[in-house]
Amino acid sequence: MSRQLLDRQLVDVQGRLIGKVDDVEFAIDPEGRPYLGTLLTGPGALGLRVGGRLGRMMALAAERFVTDRPMAPLRIPYPLVARIDSAVWLRVRAEELPAPPVEQWLRRHLIDRIPGAGRAGG
Amino acid sequence: MRKLLAATLGILSAVGGFVDVGDLVAASQAGARFGMAHSWVLLLGVVAICAYAEMAGRIAAVTGRAVFDLIRERLGARVALLNLVASYVVTVVTLAAELGGVALAVRLATGVPYLIWVPVAGAAVWLVLWRMRFPVMERVFGLAGLALVVFAVALFWLPTDWAALGHSAVSGGQAGQGWGAYWFVAVALFASTVSPYEVFFFSSGGVEERWGTADLADARFSVLVGFPIGGFLALALIATATVVLRPAGLTVTGLEQVAHPVVLAFGGLGLAIAALAFFAVTFGAALETGLSAAYAAAQYFGWQWGKRVSPREATRFHTVLLVSVLLGVLLLLTAIDPVALTEYMLIISAVALPLTYLPILVVANDRTYLGDRVNGPWLNTLAAALLLVILAASIVAIPLAIGTRMGQ
Repeated sequence: MSRQLLDRQLVDVQGRLIGKVDDVEFAIDPEGRPYLGTLLTGPGALGLRVGGRLGRMMALAAERFVTDRPMAPLRIPYPLVARIDSAVWLRVRAEELPAPPVEQWLRRHLIDRIPGAGRAGG
Repeated sequence: MRKLLAATLGILSAVGGFVDVGDLVAASQAGARFGMAHSWVLLLGVVAICAYAEMAGRIAAVTGRAVFDLIRERLGARVALLNLVASYVVTVVTLAAELGGVALAVRLATGVPYLIWVPVAGAAVWLVLWRMRFPVMERVFGLAGLALVVFAVALFWLPTDWAALGHSAVSGGQAGQGWGAYWFVAVALFASTVSPYEVFFFSSGGVEERWGTADLADARFSVLVGFPIGGFLALALIATATVVLRPAGLTVTGLEQVAHPVVLAFGGLGLAIAALAFFAVTFGAALETGLSAAYAAAQYFGWQWGKRVSPREATRFHTVLLVSVLLGVLLLLTAIDPVALTEYMLIISAVALPLTYLPILVVANDRTYLGDRVNGPWLNTLAAALLLVILAASIVAIPLAIGTRMGQ
Protein backbone atom coordinates (compact mmCIF):
# COMPACT_ATOMS: atom_id res chain seq x y z
CA MET A 1 0.00 0.00 0.00
CA SER A 2 2.71 2.49 0.99
CA ARG A 3 4.74 1.46 -2.08
CA GLN A 4 1.78 2.43 -4.20
CA LEU A 5 1.61 5.82 -2.53
CA LEU A 6 5.26 6.80 -2.24
CA ASP A 7 6.53 9.31 -4.80
CA ARG A 8 3.04 9.91 -6.21
CA GLN A 9 1.82 13.39 -7.04
CA LEU A 10 -0.49 14.99 -4.43
CA VAL A 11 -3.31 16.93 -6.04
CA ASP A 12 -5.91 19.11 -4.32
CA VAL A 13 -9.63 18.98 -5.00
CA GLN A 14 -9.29 21.61 -7.79
CA GLY A 15 -6.37 19.90 -9.50
CA ARG A 16 -3.62 22.05 -8.00
CA LEU A 17 -0.30 20.32 -7.40
CA ILE A 18 0.60 20.13 -3.68
CA GLY A 19 3.81 18.09 -3.75
CA LYS A 20 4.86 14.45 -3.82
CA VAL A 21 4.23 11.81 -1.21
CA ASP A 22 7.78 12.05 0.14
CA ASP A 23 7.21 9.68 3.05
CA VAL A 24 4.42 7.93 4.96
CA GLU A 25 3.84 7.36 8.68
CA PHE A 26 2.09 4.38 10.16
CA ALA A 27 0.08 4.46 13.37
CA ILE A 28 -1.17 1.68 15.66
CA ASP A 29 -4.88 1.23 16.24
CA PRO A 30 -6.29 0.27 19.69
CA GLU A 31 -6.08 -3.41 18.79
CA GLY A 32 -2.38 -3.08 18.04
CA ARG A 33 -2.68 -3.30 14.26
CA PRO A 34 -0.62 -0.85 12.18
CA TYR A 35 -2.47 1.39 9.72
CA LEU A 36 -1.46 4.13 7.33
CA GLY A 37 -1.78 7.33 9.34
CA THR A 38 -0.17 10.28 7.62
CA LEU A 39 1.34 11.29 4.30
CA LEU A 40 4.41 13.56 4.55
CA THR A 41 5.58 15.99 1.90
CA GLY A 42 8.42 18.52 1.90
CA PRO A 43 12.17 18.69 1.33
CA GLY A 44 12.96 17.61 4.90
CA ALA A 45 11.06 14.34 4.58
CA LEU A 46 12.39 13.75 1.07
CA GLY A 47 15.97 14.46 2.16
CA LEU A 48 15.72 11.84 4.91
CA ARG A 49 14.35 9.26 2.52
CA VAL A 50 16.90 9.96 -0.21
CA GLY A 51 19.57 9.78 2.48
CA GLY A 52 23.31 10.19 2.12
CA ARG A 53 25.10 13.39 1.26
CA LEU A 54 22.71 14.15 -1.61
CA GLY A 55 19.66 14.03 0.68
CA ARG A 56 21.32 16.16 3.37
CA MET A 57 22.44 18.74 0.81
CA MET A 58 18.94 19.04 -0.56
CA ALA A 59 17.33 19.44 2.88
CA LEU A 60 19.97 22.02 3.90
CA ALA A 61 19.45 23.97 0.66
CA ALA A 62 15.70 24.12 1.34
CA GLU A 63 16.24 25.13 4.97
CA ARG A 64 18.06 28.26 3.90
CA PHE A 65 14.67 29.67 2.95
CA VAL A 66 12.95 29.19 6.32
CA THR A 67 13.42 30.62 9.80
CA ASP A 68 12.27 27.70 11.98
CA ARG A 69 14.64 24.78 11.54
CA PRO A 70 14.66 21.89 11.12
CA MET A 71 12.02 22.24 8.50
CA ALA A 72 8.84 20.35 9.35
CA PRO A 73 7.21 18.47 6.48
CA LEU A 74 3.59 19.09 5.57
CA ARG A 75 1.52 16.35 7.27
CA ILE A 76 -1.61 15.16 5.53
CA PRO A 77 -3.84 12.80 7.57
CA TYR A 78 -4.73 9.82 5.43
CA PRO A 79 -8.53 10.34 5.74
CA LEU A 80 -8.09 13.50 3.63
CA VAL A 81 -7.25 11.30 0.62
CA ALA A 82 -10.27 11.08 -1.70
CA ARG A 83 -8.96 8.67 -4.32
CA ILE A 84 -5.77 7.29 -5.83
CA ASP A 85 -5.14 6.81 -9.53
CA SER A 86 -2.00 8.04 -11.29
CA ALA A 87 -2.02 10.72 -8.56
CA VAL A 88 -3.20 11.01 -4.95
CA TRP A 89 -6.30 13.24 -4.90
CA LEU A 90 -7.16 15.08 -1.67
CA ARG A 91 -10.59 16.18 -0.41
CA VAL A 92 -9.36 19.66 0.54
CA ARG A 93 -8.28 22.79 -1.30
CA ALA A 94 -4.61 23.84 -1.34
CA GLU A 95 -5.46 27.00 0.65
CA GLU A 96 -6.69 24.92 3.58
CA LEU A 97 -3.24 23.36 3.97
CA PRO A 98 -0.18 25.26 5.26
CA ALA A 99 1.68 26.85 2.32
CA PRO A 100 5.11 25.36 1.48
CA PRO A 101 7.73 27.62 3.16
CA VAL A 102 10.13 27.77 0.19
CA GLU A 103 7.29 28.70 -2.14
CA GLN A 104 6.18 31.43 0.28
CA TRP A 105 9.70 32.83 0.69
CA LEU A 106 10.33 32.94 -3.06
CA ARG A 107 6.93 34.53 -3.65
CA ARG A 108 7.57 37.29 -1.14
CA HIS A 109 11.21 37.99 -1.98
CA LEU A 110 11.48 37.31 -5.70
CA ILE A 111 8.50 36.50 -7.89
CA ASP A 112 5.99 39.03 -6.49
CA ARG A 113 8.52 41.80 -7.05
CA ILE A 114 8.57 41.20 -10.80
CA PRO A 115 5.76 43.02 -12.66
CA GLY A 116 3.14 40.69 -14.10
CA ALA A 117 3.50 37.97 -11.48
CA GLY A 118 -0.26 37.74 -11.00
CA ARG A 119 -1.11 37.01 -14.60
CA ALA A 120 -1.15 33.56 -16.18
CA GLY A 121 0.73 33.31 -19.47
CA GLY A 122 -1.60 30.75 -21.02
CA MET B 1 -11.18 23.19 -41.68
CA ARG B 2 -10.63 23.69 -37.97
CA LYS B 3 -9.22 20.19 -37.73
CA LEU B 4 -6.81 20.93 -40.55
CA LEU B 5 -5.69 24.11 -38.79
CA ALA B 6 -5.17 22.26 -35.51
CA ALA B 7 -3.16 19.58 -37.32
CA THR B 8 -1.00 22.22 -38.99
CA LEU B 9 -0.34 23.93 -35.66
CA GLY B 10 0.66 20.62 -34.10
CA ILE B 11 3.05 19.94 -36.95
CA LEU B 12 4.58 23.41 -36.62
CA SER B 13 5.19 22.78 -32.92
CA ALA B 14 6.87 19.48 -33.72
CA VAL B 15 9.10 21.05 -36.41
CA GLY B 16 10.02 23.85 -34.00
CA GLY B 17 10.78 21.27 -31.32
CA PHE B 18 13.02 19.27 -33.60
CA VAL B 19 15.54 21.58 -35.27
CA ASP B 20 17.88 23.49 -32.96
CA VAL B 21 21.47 24.72 -32.76
CA GLY B 22 22.68 21.14 -32.28
CA ASP B 23 21.18 20.10 -35.63
CA LEU B 24 22.53 23.19 -37.40
CA VAL B 25 26.09 22.53 -36.21
CA ALA B 26 26.11 18.71 -36.31
CA ALA B 27 24.38 18.40 -39.69
CA SER B 28 26.56 21.02 -41.33
CA GLN B 29 29.72 19.53 -39.88
CA ALA B 30 28.74 16.05 -40.98
CA GLY B 31 28.16 17.29 -44.54
CA ALA B 32 31.31 19.41 -44.69
CA ARG B 33 33.55 16.58 -43.50
CA PHE B 34 31.92 13.33 -44.59
CA GLY B 35 29.42 14.25 -47.29
CA MET B 36 26.11 12.42 -47.08
CA ALA B 37 27.70 9.48 -45.24
CA HIS B 38 25.72 10.21 -42.04
CA SER B 39 22.26 10.29 -43.67
CA TRP B 40 21.44 6.94 -42.07
CA VAL B 41 22.14 8.40 -38.59
CA LEU B 42 19.63 11.16 -39.20
CA LEU B 43 17.06 8.62 -40.41
CA LEU B 44 17.64 6.45 -37.33
CA GLY B 45 17.37 9.50 -35.08
CA VAL B 46 14.05 10.57 -36.64
CA VAL B 47 12.62 7.05 -36.22
CA ALA B 48 13.79 7.02 -32.58
CA ILE B 49 12.36 10.43 -31.68
CA CYS B 50 9.06 9.59 -33.41
CA ALA B 51 8.71 6.29 -31.55
CA TYR B 52 9.59 7.71 -28.14
CA ALA B 53 7.70 10.98 -28.51
CA GLU B 54 4.61 8.96 -29.47
CA MET B 55 5.01 6.93 -26.25
CA ALA B 56 5.56 10.04 -24.14
CA GLY B 57 2.52 11.70 -25.73
CA ARG B 58 0.37 8.62 -25.15
CA ILE B 59 1.47 8.44 -21.51
CA ALA B 60 0.63 12.14 -21.07
CA ALA B 61 -2.78 11.76 -22.72
CA VAL B 62 -3.85 8.63 -20.84
CA THR B 63 -2.46 9.33 -17.35
CA GLY B 64 -2.38 13.14 -17.38
CA ARG B 65 1.20 12.91 -16.05
CA ALA B 66 4.38 14.13 -17.72
CA VAL B 67 7.57 12.15 -18.20
CA PHE B 68 9.59 13.30 -15.22
CA ASP B 69 6.65 12.91 -12.90
CA LEU B 70 6.59 9.19 -13.70
CA ILE B 71 10.38 8.82 -13.75
CA ARG B 72 10.35 9.42 -9.99
CA GLU B 73 7.51 6.96 -9.40
CA ARG B 74 9.29 4.28 -11.37
CA LEU B 75 12.91 4.83 -10.30
CA GLY B 76 12.32 5.87 -6.68
CA ALA B 77 13.28 9.12 -4.99
CA ARG B 78 17.04 8.62 -4.89
CA VAL B 79 17.83 7.34 -8.39
CA ALA B 80 15.37 9.83 -9.86
CA LEU B 81 17.13 12.66 -8.00
CA LEU B 82 20.45 11.68 -9.60
CA ASN B 83 18.62 11.50 -12.93
CA LEU B 84 17.16 14.96 -12.27
CA VAL B 85 20.58 16.45 -11.51
CA ALA B 86 22.08 14.97 -14.69
CA SER B 87 19.10 15.91 -16.87
CA TYR B 88 19.04 19.43 -15.45
CA VAL B 89 22.74 20.00 -16.16
CA VAL B 90 22.38 18.69 -19.72
CA THR B 91 19.27 20.80 -20.35
CA VAL B 92 20.84 24.00 -19.00
CA VAL B 93 23.97 23.46 -21.10
CA THR B 94 21.65 22.94 -24.08
CA LEU B 95 19.84 26.16 -23.17
CA ALA B 96 23.19 27.98 -23.11
CA ALA B 97 24.08 26.56 -26.53
CA GLU B 98 20.70 27.68 -27.91
CA LEU B 99 21.18 31.19 -26.49
CA GLY B 100 24.61 31.20 -28.13
CA GLY B 101 22.90 30.21 -31.37
CA VAL B 102 20.44 33.12 -31.02
CA ALA B 103 23.36 35.53 -30.45
CA LEU B 104 25.27 34.13 -33.44
CA ALA B 105 22.16 34.41 -35.65
CA VAL B 106 21.70 38.05 -34.68
CA ARG B 107 25.38 38.69 -35.33
CA LEU B 108 24.99 37.11 -38.74
CA ALA B 109 22.24 39.63 -39.50
CA THR B 110 23.79 42.72 -37.86
CA GLY B 111 27.56 42.20 -37.76
CA VAL B 112 27.62 43.27 -34.10
CA PRO B 113 29.77 40.89 -31.92
CA TYR B 114 27.73 38.03 -30.52
CA LEU B 115 28.73 38.47 -26.86
CA ILE B 116 26.74 41.72 -26.75
CA TRP B 117 23.66 39.81 -27.85
CA VAL B 118 23.96 37.09 -25.21
CA PRO B 119 22.37 39.05 -22.31
CA VAL B 120 19.79 40.49 -24.72
CA ALA B 121 18.87 37.01 -25.93
CA GLY B 122 18.67 35.75 -22.34
CA ALA B 123 16.41 38.63 -21.31
CA ALA B 124 14.19 38.17 -24.35
CA VAL B 125 13.82 34.43 -23.75
CA TRP B 126 12.95 34.99 -20.10
CA LEU B 127 10.46 37.73 -20.96
CA VAL B 128 8.66 35.49 -23.44
CA LEU B 129 8.53 32.70 -20.84
CA TRP B 130 7.22 35.14 -18.24
CA ARG B 131 4.52 36.91 -20.24
CA MET B 132 3.62 35.40 -23.58
CA ARG B 133 0.97 32.89 -24.48
CA PHE B 134 3.23 29.98 -25.14
CA PRO B 135 1.38 28.01 -27.85
CA VAL B 136 1.33 31.14 -30.00
CA MET B 137 5.09 31.64 -29.68
CA GLU B 138 5.75 27.99 -30.33
CA ARG B 139 3.85 28.16 -33.61
CA VAL B 140 5.36 31.47 -34.69
CA PHE B 141 8.87 30.10 -34.19
CA GLY B 142 7.92 26.78 -35.79
CA LEU B 143 6.60 28.62 -38.86
CA ALA B 144 9.63 30.93 -39.10
CA GLY B 145 11.89 27.90 -38.65
CA LEU B 146 10.41 26.44 -41.83
CA ALA B 147 12.47 29.15 -43.59
CA LEU B 148 15.24 26.56 -43.33
CA VAL B 149 13.63 25.09 -46.42
CA VAL B 150 15.78 27.68 -48.23
CA PHE B 151 18.60 25.14 -47.88
CA ALA B 152 16.63 22.57 -49.84
CA VAL B 153 15.78 25.22 -52.46
CA ALA B 154 19.46 26.20 -52.71
CA LEU B 155 20.28 22.61 -53.49
CA PHE B 156 18.12 22.86 -56.64
CA TRP B 157 19.44 26.29 -57.50
CA LEU B 158 23.11 25.30 -57.26
CA PRO B 159 24.60 22.98 -59.91
CA THR B 160 24.12 19.93 -57.68
CA ASP B 161 25.37 16.60 -58.94
CA TRP B 162 22.43 14.56 -57.64
CA ALA B 163 23.87 11.21 -58.67
CA ALA B 164 27.07 11.81 -56.72
CA LEU B 165 25.07 13.12 -53.76
CA GLY B 166 22.90 10.02 -53.72
CA HIS B 167 25.91 7.80 -54.15
CA SER B 168 27.73 9.32 -51.17
CA ALA B 169 24.60 8.77 -49.04
CA VAL B 170 24.71 5.01 -49.53
CA SER B 171 28.41 4.33 -49.93
CA GLY B 172 30.05 7.13 -47.97
CA GLY B 173 32.57 6.25 -45.31
CA GLN B 174 35.25 7.86 -43.21
CA ALA B 175 36.47 9.87 -46.24
CA GLY B 176 40.11 9.83 -45.20
CA GLN B 177 39.36 11.46 -41.83
CA GLY B 178 39.48 8.30 -39.72
CA TRP B 179 36.67 6.15 -38.36
CA GLY B 180 37.02 7.72 -34.90
CA ALA B 181 36.01 11.11 -36.28
CA TYR B 182 33.26 9.48 -38.36
CA TRP B 183 31.66 7.87 -35.32
CA PHE B 184 32.16 10.97 -33.20
CA VAL B 185 30.13 12.98 -35.72
CA ALA B 186 27.59 10.15 -35.91
CA VAL B 187 27.04 10.23 -32.13
CA ALA B 188 26.76 14.05 -32.10
CA LEU B 189 24.24 14.01 -34.96
CA PHE B 190 22.21 11.26 -33.31
CA ALA B 191 22.16 13.16 -30.00
CA SER B 192 21.02 16.31 -31.79
CA THR B 193 18.00 14.51 -33.24
CA VAL B 194 16.89 12.77 -30.03
CA SER B 195 17.62 15.57 -27.50
CA PRO B 196 15.96 14.62 -24.18
CA TYR B 197 14.39 18.06 -23.80
CA GLU B 198 12.21 17.33 -26.83
CA VAL B 199 10.34 14.58 -24.97
CA PHE B 200 10.18 16.47 -21.65
CA PHE B 201 8.72 19.37 -23.52
CA PHE B 202 6.36 17.37 -25.68
CA SER B 203 4.86 15.40 -22.79
CA SER B 204 4.61 18.42 -20.45
CA GLY B 205 2.94 20.40 -23.24
CA GLY B 206 0.44 17.58 -23.63
CA VAL B 207 -0.38 17.67 -19.91
CA GLU B 208 -0.72 21.46 -19.98
CA GLU B 209 -3.04 21.37 -22.95
CA ARG B 210 -5.04 18.67 -21.11
CA TRP B 211 -4.81 16.04 -23.79
CA GLY B 212 -7.19 13.15 -23.28
CA THR B 213 -7.42 9.85 -25.07
CA ALA B 214 -9.53 11.61 -27.74
CA ASP B 215 -6.47 13.73 -28.67
CA LEU B 216 -4.20 10.72 -29.14
CA ALA B 217 -4.67 10.52 -32.89
CA ASP B 218 -3.85 14.23 -33.34
CA ALA B 219 -0.76 13.99 -31.13
CA ARG B 220 0.44 10.94 -33.04
CA PHE B 221 -0.18 12.69 -36.36
CA SER B 222 1.82 15.80 -35.44
CA VAL B 223 4.73 13.66 -34.24
CA LEU B 224 4.75 11.43 -37.30
CA VAL B 225 4.59 14.37 -39.72
CA GLY B 226 6.38 17.16 -37.83
CA PHE B 227 9.54 15.31 -36.77
CA PRO B 228 10.19 13.87 -40.25
CA ILE B 229 9.80 17.39 -41.71
CA GLY B 230 12.40 18.53 -39.19
CA GLY B 231 14.56 15.60 -40.26
CA PHE B 232 14.17 16.60 -43.90
CA LEU B 233 15.37 20.14 -43.08
CA ALA B 234 18.40 18.69 -41.28
CA LEU B 235 19.08 16.45 -44.28
CA ALA B 236 19.00 19.54 -46.52
CA LEU B 237 21.65 21.08 -44.24
CA ILE B 238 23.87 18.01 -44.64
CA ALA B 239 23.34 18.04 -48.41
CA THR B 240 24.16 21.73 -48.95
CA ALA B 241 27.26 21.37 -46.77
CA THR B 242 28.25 18.36 -48.88
CA VAL B 243 27.81 20.27 -52.12
CA VAL B 244 29.34 23.60 -51.08
CA LEU B 245 31.51 23.36 -47.97
CA ARG B 246 33.16 20.02 -48.62
CA PRO B 247 34.70 20.75 -52.05
CA ALA B 248 35.92 24.11 -50.73
CA GLY B 249 37.51 22.41 -47.73
CA LEU B 250 35.59 24.63 -45.27
CA THR B 251 34.96 23.46 -41.71
CA VAL B 252 32.11 24.70 -39.55
CA THR B 253 33.37 27.13 -36.91
CA GLY B 254 30.29 29.37 -36.78
CA LEU B 255 26.87 29.90 -38.30
CA GLU B 256 28.46 31.81 -41.23
CA GLN B 257 29.70 28.52 -42.65
CA VAL B 258 26.31 26.89 -42.05
CA ALA B 259 24.68 29.75 -44.01
CA HIS B 260 27.38 29.85 -46.68
CA PRO B 261 25.63 27.60 -49.23
CA VAL B 262 22.47 29.73 -49.32
CA VAL B 263 24.55 32.91 -49.50
CA LEU B 264 26.34 31.41 -52.50
CA ALA B 265 22.98 30.59 -54.11
CA PHE B 266 20.92 33.67 -53.25
CA GLY B 267 23.33 36.36 -51.98
CA GLY B 268 22.11 38.87 -49.39
CA LEU B 269 18.54 37.63 -49.52
CA GLY B 270 19.75 34.12 -48.79
CA LEU B 271 21.73 35.39 -45.82
CA ALA B 272 18.68 37.22 -44.46
CA ILE B 273 16.44 34.16 -44.77
CA ALA B 274 19.09 31.88 -43.23
CA ALA B 275 19.64 34.31 -40.32
CA LEU B 276 15.87 34.49 -39.73
CA ALA B 277 15.60 30.70 -39.78
CA PHE B 278 18.57 30.26 -37.43
CA PHE B 279 17.12 32.86 -35.07
CA ALA B 280 13.70 31.19 -35.07
CA VAL B 281 14.91 27.66 -34.45
CA THR B 282 17.43 28.59 -31.76
CA PHE B 283 15.09 31.01 -29.98
CA GLY B 284 12.28 28.46 -30.07
CA ALA B 285 14.63 25.79 -28.73
CA ALA B 286 15.88 28.16 -26.00
CA LEU B 287 12.27 28.58 -24.83
CA GLU B 288 11.74 24.84 -24.85
CA THR B 289 14.98 23.95 -23.06
CA GLY B 290 14.37 26.62 -20.40
CA LEU B 291 10.88 25.27 -19.79
CA SER B 292 12.12 21.67 -19.86
CA ALA B 293 14.71 22.35 -17.15
CA ALA B 294 11.99 23.83 -14.93
CA TYR B 295 9.48 21.10 -15.82
CA ALA B 296 11.95 18.38 -14.77
CA ALA B 297 12.63 19.99 -11.38
CA ALA B 298 8.97 20.82 -10.68
CA GLN B 299 7.78 17.37 -11.71
CA TYR B 300 10.35 15.62 -9.54
CA PHE B 301 9.41 17.63 -6.43
CA GLY B 302 5.70 17.80 -7.22
CA TRP B 303 5.59 21.60 -7.36
CA GLN B 304 2.85 23.48 -9.15
CA TRP B 305 4.18 24.11 -12.67
CA GLY B 306 3.09 25.38 -16.02
CA LYS B 307 2.03 28.40 -17.97
CA ARG B 308 -1.68 28.06 -17.20
CA VAL B 309 -1.27 29.35 -13.66
CA SER B 310 0.18 32.76 -12.79
CA PRO B 311 3.85 32.94 -11.77
CA ARG B 312 2.91 33.75 -8.16
CA GLU B 313 1.06 30.45 -7.92
CA ALA B 314 4.08 28.57 -9.28
CA THR B 315 6.95 30.51 -7.73
CA ARG B 316 9.39 27.61 -7.43
CA PHE B 317 8.82 26.67 -11.06
CA HIS B 318 9.36 30.25 -12.21
CA THR B 319 12.41 30.63 -9.97
CA VAL B 320 14.03 27.57 -11.56
CA LEU B 321 13.14 29.02 -14.98
CA LEU B 322 14.77 32.35 -14.13
CA VAL B 323 17.86 30.73 -12.58
CA SER B 324 18.27 28.40 -15.57
CA VAL B 325 18.23 31.27 -18.07
CA LEU B 326 20.72 33.18 -15.87
CA LEU B 327 23.01 30.14 -15.69
CA GLY B 328 22.86 29.81 -19.47
CA VAL B 329 23.78 33.46 -19.95
CA LEU B 330 26.63 33.23 -17.40
CA LEU B 331 28.02 30.12 -19.10
CA LEU B 332 28.18 31.99 -22.42
CA LEU B 333 29.66 35.12 -20.85
CA THR B 334 32.75 33.07 -19.98
CA ALA B 335 33.40 33.72 -23.71
CA ILE B 336 33.32 29.98 -24.47
CA ASP B 337 32.92 29.50 -28.22
CA PRO B 338 29.19 28.75 -28.80
CA VAL B 339 29.94 26.18 -31.51
CA ALA B 340 32.40 24.33 -29.24
CA LEU B 341 29.80 24.55 -26.45
CA THR B 342 27.24 22.99 -28.83
CA GLU B 343 29.63 20.10 -29.52
CA TYR B 344 30.21 19.49 -25.80
CA MET B 345 26.45 19.76 -25.24
CA LEU B 346 25.78 17.07 -27.85
CA ILE B 347 28.29 14.71 -26.25
CA ILE B 348 26.90 15.07 -22.71
CA SER B 349 23.36 14.77 -24.13
CA ALA B 350 24.40 11.50 -25.76
CA VAL B 351 25.70 10.21 -22.42
CA ALA B 352 22.45 11.16 -20.66
CA LEU B 353 20.08 9.75 -23.31
CA PRO B 354 19.21 6.46 -21.53
CA LEU B 355 18.19 8.40 -18.39
CA THR B 356 15.21 9.75 -20.33
CA TYR B 357 14.44 7.01 -22.80
CA LEU B 358 14.64 3.90 -20.64
CA PRO B 359 11.96 5.06 -18.14
CA ILE B 360 9.65 6.05 -21.01
CA LEU B 361 9.86 2.56 -22.46
CA VAL B 362 9.23 1.02 -19.02
CA VAL B 363 6.16 3.19 -18.31
CA ALA B 364 4.82 2.69 -21.85
CA ASN B 365 4.59 -1.04 -21.00
CA ASP B 366 3.01 -0.59 -17.55
CA ARG B 367 -0.66 -1.59 -17.51
CA THR B 368 -1.27 0.03 -14.13
CA TYR B 369 -0.75 3.39 -15.87
CA LEU B 370 -1.86 2.79 -19.42
CA GLY B 371 -4.40 -0.04 -19.18
CA ASP B 372 -4.80 -1.55 -22.65
CA ARG B 373 -3.00 1.38 -24.28
CA VAL B 374 0.43 -0.12 -23.57
CA ASN B 375 2.89 -0.63 -26.43
CA GLY B 376 2.08 -3.30 -28.98
CA PRO B 377 4.65 -6.00 -29.81
CA TRP B 378 5.88 -4.27 -33.00
CA LEU B 379 6.47 -0.94 -31.30
CA ASN B 380 8.21 -2.72 -28.42
CA THR B 381 10.55 -4.55 -30.77
CA LEU B 382 11.39 -1.30 -32.54
CA ALA B 383 11.74 0.64 -29.29
CA ALA B 384 13.98 -2.02 -27.72
CA ALA B 385 16.24 -2.03 -30.78
CA LEU B 386 16.39 1.77 -30.68
CA LEU B 387 17.17 1.65 -26.96
CA LEU B 388 20.19 -0.52 -27.76
CA VAL B 389 21.36 2.15 -30.22
CA ILE B 390 20.77 4.82 -27.56
CA LEU B 391 22.75 2.81 -24.99
CA ALA B 392 25.57 2.27 -27.47
CA ALA B 393 25.73 6.00 -28.27
CA SER B 394 25.75 6.78 -24.56
CA ILE B 395 28.56 4.36 -23.79
CA VAL B 396 30.87 5.34 -26.66
CA ALA B 397 30.29 9.11 -26.47
CA ILE B 398 32.97 9.99 -23.89
CA PRO B 399 35.64 7.53 -25.10
CA LEU B 400 35.13 8.81 -28.66
CA ALA B 401 35.28 12.45 -27.55
CA ILE B 402 38.55 11.85 -25.68
CA GLY B 403 40.03 9.43 -28.23
CA THR B 404 39.44 11.76 -31.18
CA ARG B 405 39.92 15.00 -29.21
CA MET B 406 36.36 16.14 -30.04
CA GLY B 407 36.37 14.66 -33.52
CA GLN B 408 39.66 16.05 -34.82
